[in-house]
Amino acid sequence: MLVLQSIALQLGELESPLLSNLSAWYPASHFGAILGPSGCGKSTLLKVIAGILPHTSGSIFWQGKNLENEDLPAHQLGYVPQFSCTQPRLSVQENLLYGARLRQKGTAQEIETRVDQVMEETGLQDLQDRRAGVLSGGQLRRLSLAMELTTRPSLLLADEVTSGLDPKSEEEITELLASLAREQGRLVLLVTHSLRYMEAYDSITVLTDGHLAYSADPRDLTNYFRVKSPEAIYPTLAAQSGKEWADQWIALPKPEGITPENILGEMESILISKEKEQSLQLPSLLSQSTTWLSRRIKIFLRDPAQVFLQLSLLLVFPAVVTLFAYRGLPEVRNMTMSSDTGVLEQLRDSLAFTIQSSRVGTLVSGLTMFQVILLALMGSNNSAREVIGDRPILEKEKLAGLRPGAALLGMGIFLSLLVFAQAGWMTLFVRAVCQFPGDLEAQFIPFLLVTGSITALCLAISSWTSSSEQASLGSLYLVGFQLPLSGAIIALPDFLGALTRPWISAYWAWSGYLQTLKDTRFYDLVKSITETPLASSGVSLWILLIHLLMGLVLTYFGMRRSQWR
Amino acid sequence: MSRRAHQKTPRSLLFGSVLLFIGFAAAGAYFLQKGSNPYRTVEQLKPADYFENANSLRGNVYQIEGVILNALAQNPEKGRLFSIGVTSDSKKWPMPIFIPAKLRQINLQKNQTYRAKVRVDDAGILVAEEIQKS
Repeated sequence: MLVLQSIALQLGELESPLLSNLSAWYPASHFGAILGPSGCGKSTLLKVIAGILPHTSGSIFWQGKNLENEDLPAHQLGYVPQFSCTQPRLSVQENLLYGARLRQKGTAQEIETRVDQVMEETGLQDLQDRRAGVLSGGQLRRLSLAMELTTRPSLLLADEVTSGLDPKSEEEITELLASLAREQGRLVLLVTHSLRYMEAYDSITVLTDGHLAYSADPRDLTNYFRVKSPEAIYPTLAAQSGKEWADQWIALPKPEGITPENILGEMESILISKEKEQSLQLPSLLSQSTTWLSRRIKIFLRDPAQVFLQLSLLLVFPAVVTLFAYRGLPEVRNMTMSSDTGVLEQLRDSLAFTIQSSRVGTLVSGLTMFQVILLALMGSNNSAREVIGDRPILEKEKLAGLRPGAALLGMGIFLSLLVFAQAGWMTLFVRAVCQFPGDLEAQFIPFLLVTGSITALCLAISSWTSSSEQASLGSLYLVGFQLPLSGAIIALPDFLGALTRPWISAYWAWSGYLQTLKDTRFYDLVKSITETPLASSGVSLWILLIHLLMGLVLTYFGMRRSQWR
Repeated sequence: MSRRAHQKTPRSLLFGSVLLFIGFAAAGAYFLQKGSNPYRTVEQLKPADYFENANSLRGNVYQIEGVILNALAQNPEKGRLFSIGVTSDSKKWPMPIFIPAKLRQINLQKNQTYRAKVRVDDAGILVAEEIQKS
C-alpha cells in the first residue's frame, strides 16, 4: 500500500507550491489514474513518489515503511518517464537485455528467459530484432514499460505513457497496465490527460493547481463534480481555485479505506516483495560496468558516420602536423668553440646560430605544441557530450540501480581505448615522418596523459552542465585556453605564467615531450627561443596525472548528483 | 536519509577534493623537482667567494650550473678547459671548468647549459667530477 500523507512541495520560498497538503492512499493490486489539467502537478507527484523530487513536507509510506528512512529497493520501483529511455541504435531485445543486466544479478540464460517473458507479456516478440529508433510511438512506450518490468516491480509509475498515441495504441497500453496491476500485488499509477477508458481504472486522482480535488472510485467521479460526462470535469475545475477544491474534498466524509481485500492484497504484496528482495540482487559494480562498456561499444560501432569521423580525426590530425616537416627535422650546425677566430667571424657565427635557433627552435617547439593541441581537441571531442548526451537515460538507469561509479568505469575504459589510439598514432606517425629523435615510450606518455586529462576534464564538464551546448562551450573554453596560456608560443608575464601554468595541461605535455629531446641540440634551440621555463619530465607527468585524476573525480561527483529535467 | 534518486554532492566535498588535488600536485611537484637535481646534496658554489680567494676553497666539492661560453684549451690525454658563465646574484660570472678526459663522452656545445659537480683543485681550477645537461 502506498500512503501519501500531507505531501507538499515548494521549490523556493517565494514561489507558489507545486504540491499542497496532498493526502491519498493506494492499495496493492490497484490501477490508479492521476488526472488534471496541464501544470497541475501530476508528473511532479509521480516524481515525488519515485523519489526524484524531494518533497518539502509530509511523508510517503510504502508497505508501512517511511521512504525517507528506508528507500524502495531499486528493483521494486518501476518508473516510465515521459521521454524515451531506450537506445535508438539497439534492437528491442538488446535494449531489454542490457537494461536487465544493469538492474539484476543472474546468468545470461536467466536474464534472457526473463526478457523473453517480458516481451511476451508486452507483445514485443515480433519486434525483438527491430531497432528502437524506428519504432512507432506506441511501440516505444511498450518497450519503455517492458524495460521496467524485467525486475517485476511492485510499484509501477507511468508518466503520460498513453499521451499522443492513436486511440488503438492508447487502449492497448491502458489494458496492458491494467493487466499488470492484477499481477503479484502490483500497484500501477498512470499520469494521463485522457478521460477515455475510465472503466479500466480502480481509482482516479484529480489534481488542480497542486491541490488534491478528488481521489476515489471512477464511478463516483461525475457525481462528485456534478457533471454529465468525465470530459466536462476540466472546465468545472477552472470554476474555483485549487485550494477551494482541496478544502471541499477534505471536508467530505470518506468511507474507511481498509477492507479485508485491501489487507489481503497488502499482505500478498509484502510477501512477494520480500521474496523478490531475496532473489533479485543488484549486479556487482564490475558486472554493471562491463555491461555498460559492451553496450557503449555496440552503440559506437552501430553508427558508421561516427566511426568514420573518429577514424578521419585519428588519421588526418597527425598528417596535418607532418606537413610542416615532412622532409624531417633539419640538421643543426653548432657554434665554433674556439676563441682563436676573429671578432668578425665570431659575430657572424653567432648571428648564423641565432637565425638557426629561431628557425629550428620555433619549428620543434611549434610541432610539439601542434601535436599537443590537436590531441587536446581530440580529447575534448571524445567526451564533451559523453555524459550530457545521454543524461536522461543515465538518471533513469541510476534510479533503476545503476551505480554512477560503474557507469564511469565503463565510460573510462571506452574512452581509454580512443585515447590510446589517438596518442599512440600521433606519436608514432609524426615521429616517423618528421624523424623526431628521443625515446619513443617517453614521448608517448606525455601525449597519452594530455589526451587523457583533457578527455577527463571535458567529461567532468559534461557531467556538470545541463545541456550539450553548454558542455561543448565549456570544453571549447578549456581547449581554447591551452595554447595562449601555455606560454609555448608567446611567453606570459612571469606572475601570470606562474598563476596559469599549473592548470594548463598543454604546457605540461609540451614540457614533458621536449624533455625527451634533452640530449639533442633541438632542446637547446627551443630553450634559446622561449622565455617560458620548461618543467622537468617527472613534474610534467605528475601534474598531467593529477589533471586526469581530478577530471575523473569531478566526473564521478557530477554523475552521482541527480539531474532530472 | 535522502531518497536515492535525489542525491547531491555537498559543495564542501567537491571543493575539498579539488583542494586535496592541488595539495597533492604541489607536494609531488616539489619533491620531484627537488629530486631532479642529482647534486642537490652538494653545496652551490658562490662565484664571488671563488674569485675572492680560490685557494681557500681547494679540495672542496660544489655544484655549479652555467652556460658554456668558449673552449679555452684542449689536450686529448688530459681533457678540455672551458669557460662557463654562471649566474649568481643577478651577475654573470665567467669561470674556468676543466673536463677531464674520462668525461669525454659528453658532447659539450657552446651556449648549452650544464650542471656539474666540481672539485676545486690545487691550482684553484674547477675540475668536473660529474656533468650533465641542465
